[in-house]
Amino acid sequence: MSNTTITPHDIIAKAESLRNNLSTGFRDEIVKSIYSEAEKVAQRAVKTASNKKYDFDQKIDRLVTSPWTGLPIMLLLLGIIIWLTVSGANVASNAIAVVLFGLGDLGRNLFNQIGLPWWLTGFIWDGVYLGLAWVISVMLPPMAIFFPAFTFLEDLGYLPRVAFNLDWMFKKTGAHGKQSLTMAMGFGCNAAGVIATRVIDSPRERLIAILTNNFVPCNGRFPTLIMLATVFVASAFPAALTSFVAAGTVVGVVLIGVAFTFLMSWLLSRTVLKGEASAFTLELPPYRKPNFGRILYTSIIDRTIFVLWRAMQTAAPAGAIIWILANIPFGDANLARAIADWLNPFGLLLGLDGVILLAYIIAIPANEIVVPTMMMVYMGAGMMVNGPGTSAGIFDLLVNGNGWTMLTAINLMLFALLHNPCATTIMTIYKETKSWKWATVSVVITLGLAFLVTFLTASIARLFGWV
Amino acid sequence: MHYIVALAAILIMIFLPRVGLLSIYKSYRAAKEREQVEDALKHLLDRENQGRHASPESLSGTLNIPRAEVTRLIENMEEQGLLESRGTELHLTASGERWALHVLRAHRLWERYLADEARMPLNKIHDEAQKREHSLTEAQLNELDAALGYPTRDPHGDPIPSREGKMNRAEGMPITAWQAEGPARIVHLEDEPVIAYEQILAAGLRLGQDIRIIEKNQNRYVLSDGESEYKLAPAVASNVYVTALPESEMLKREAMPLAELAQDQRAQIVMLDDSVQGFTRRRFLDLGLTPGTTIYPELGNFFGEPRAYRVRGTSIALRNDQASQIWVKPV
Repeated sequence: MSNTTITPHDIIAKAESLRNNLSTGFRDEIVKSIYSEAEKVAQRAVKTASNKKYDFDQKIDRLVTSPWTGLPIMLLLLGIIIWLTVSGANVASNAIAVVLFGLGDLGRNLFNQIGLPWWLTGFIWDGVYLGLAWVISVMLPPMAIFFPAFTFLEDLGYLPRVAFNLDWMFKKTGAHGKQSLTMAMGFGCNAAGVIATRVIDSPRERLIAILTNNFVPCNGRFPTLIMLATVFVASAFPAALTSFVAAGTVVGVVLIGVAFTFLMSWLLSRTVLKGEASAFTLELPPYRKPNFGRILYTSIIDRTIFVLWRAMQTAAPAGAIIWILANIPFGDANLARAIADWLNPFGLLLGLDGVILLAYIIAIPANEIVVPTMMMVYMGAGMMVNGPGTSAGIFDLLVNGNGWTMLTAINLMLFALLHNPCATTIMTIYKETKSWKWATVSVVITLGLAFLVTFLTASIARLFGWV
Repeated sequence: MHYIVALAAILIMIFLPRVGLLSIYKSYRAAKEREQVEDALKHLLDRENQGRHASPESLSGTLNIPRAEVTRLIENMEEQGLLESRGTELHLTASGERWALHVLRAHRLWERYLADEARMPLNKIHDEAQKREHSLTEAQLNELDAALGYPTRDPHGDPIPSREGKMNRAEGMPITAWQAEGPARIVHLEDEPVIAYEQILAAGLRLGQDIRIIEKNQNRYVLSDGESEYKLAPAVASNVYVTALPESEMLKREAMPLAELAQDQRAQIVMLDDSVQGFTRRRFLDLGLTPGTTIYPELGNFFGEPRAYRVRGTSIALRNDQASQIWVKPV
């Protein structure tokens, strides 16, 4: 048969005709044969000495996913991490603030002695430097504690168990169980959380996870919550309990955020993102012994320094802007005050004030600088009595100096939890969805909800005469 | 002067080729007309597959358009050589059938794509495919076919025409020639002669039913689908065509869904359900959920689901919806 040549066309035609004879399950058969081949190789090469490790893993798994202990353990771990962060950060923040503000005084004096013009001294030391000092003292300690603690749990292999425990709730709201993994990521940074939604295959459920990720307070917003919880809520309790009450308050705020995540997921999957729950498969990896060196490295260098550097990049220009605004005369006072006064009626309606809203507008590039911005505008009106950075000093400045009440503190916590994503996150949402529509939706629903909720709490509090 | 400029601008907006309002309207009309022709072709093909022929009435009913418009549509299609009317019957020509098969193929491939890859709920795919079936060229359709791995059936189990326009229709044999013990599936009801066909329908038999013979002699055949019995004369019964149940159907009878397996009860995977296709099936296979694998539920959940299953040395959590699509046999 050497004189018949086979052309590619013949081969294709032959394959085409043979294809119809294939049983429908031939793909399954191919994968099955690959797996059985792999099994053979593994059997030859891998020896299992004992089942001890597996049995131990089993025991832990039964404990952390059991009906009665699973959820309490989860809450307890969250509480411990936040308590460590709150109690450790408080001390360190004060220390750093004292050092950095002291350095600022030295610098300012030096500039004055050399005889540099007042506006240069002010711009450098009261603007740019003060912004940086605030961001470092407010942000660095909580991050340096929170990130390693969180990475520890991540490294241990505990997070997939959280997804396992909470999946039923996500199923009820029409979302994907892996959304809890992306939320966990959101604690570090919402932009990272949005990118992490790539683990969700269904486009509909991925969009839900993207749009609701902002309801997890990111590390840039944690300091705001911690400061308010410490200064306002915990101060009403005996000193020994302060850190526990503050941590409990922050946990409470986080749980409110989780509740809003479920509510919004449910609403979205019943309105604009209608659809059925899609396939859900989740691997529960075996527990690993955490590698402490690696944990410290990734959490300090990759996360803490990275986030802090980003915050400093926005804090420096923000500090400059505030200083300029505070030093342009306008009417009786300055421009910053004028804008804050103009925003004030709307702020009061929400149980906040004009300075807070101004701070949030200036802080659109990064949430980390909300507190520093606020402090700088307030301080423009008068220096702190008890020194910067201490709880008593902040309480004094806010309550006695600027008319804050408990309502202001609670609503600011709610506003910090619910308000629009920072510019980086909005850009990330655009990049991940390739759609300005969804980026806009993410801002509209979060900001709308923040306005609505704070307006309601303020109205209710006023109705009952609590403030 | 201003009026003239305005008028010129308006005229340009209307008459500009390709982007003008008039040409947009024209291409919109053309697309609408093409859709109508294609829907009519599909209806004719559908009728012919059932062994009947379409009529102007049935066409008017299916397309939901008035009779006068149907008459115009039929004339138009006759001119294009797509159909011939013989009395009140409408017959597809060879080229009409080729086009109709193209649309049918587009519809069913779209359904396959929407169900498997876009993972749209099954009750929504028909309407979406209805919208998309008119827009693909032959070459694009071949590409879609290849990307989906040349599926032979749509998610409802209907055959998808091949690119040569062949329908892989189940042949089947008369039930009078059926010798095997087990149940059989009705794949065709012969409609000639009409008297026999009407008796079959009157008895209550329908396409796709799974039946077994419980009695047969010279006088009658008694068939059962497990609930009711159907009695037919042998001459009539020979017009009922059956084929063996698909293999998966047989396997399923001896297996149970993974979701119903008790905690720590070891089992072997028998197969993945036929309804799991495309993306989800690939994911299952990638996780090592292949036939013959040992699996057991390892961790329960307070709320019933998901449960974690141990398979090939890993723990994999599945919701009950997914675990119901995996058929297992306890060992």
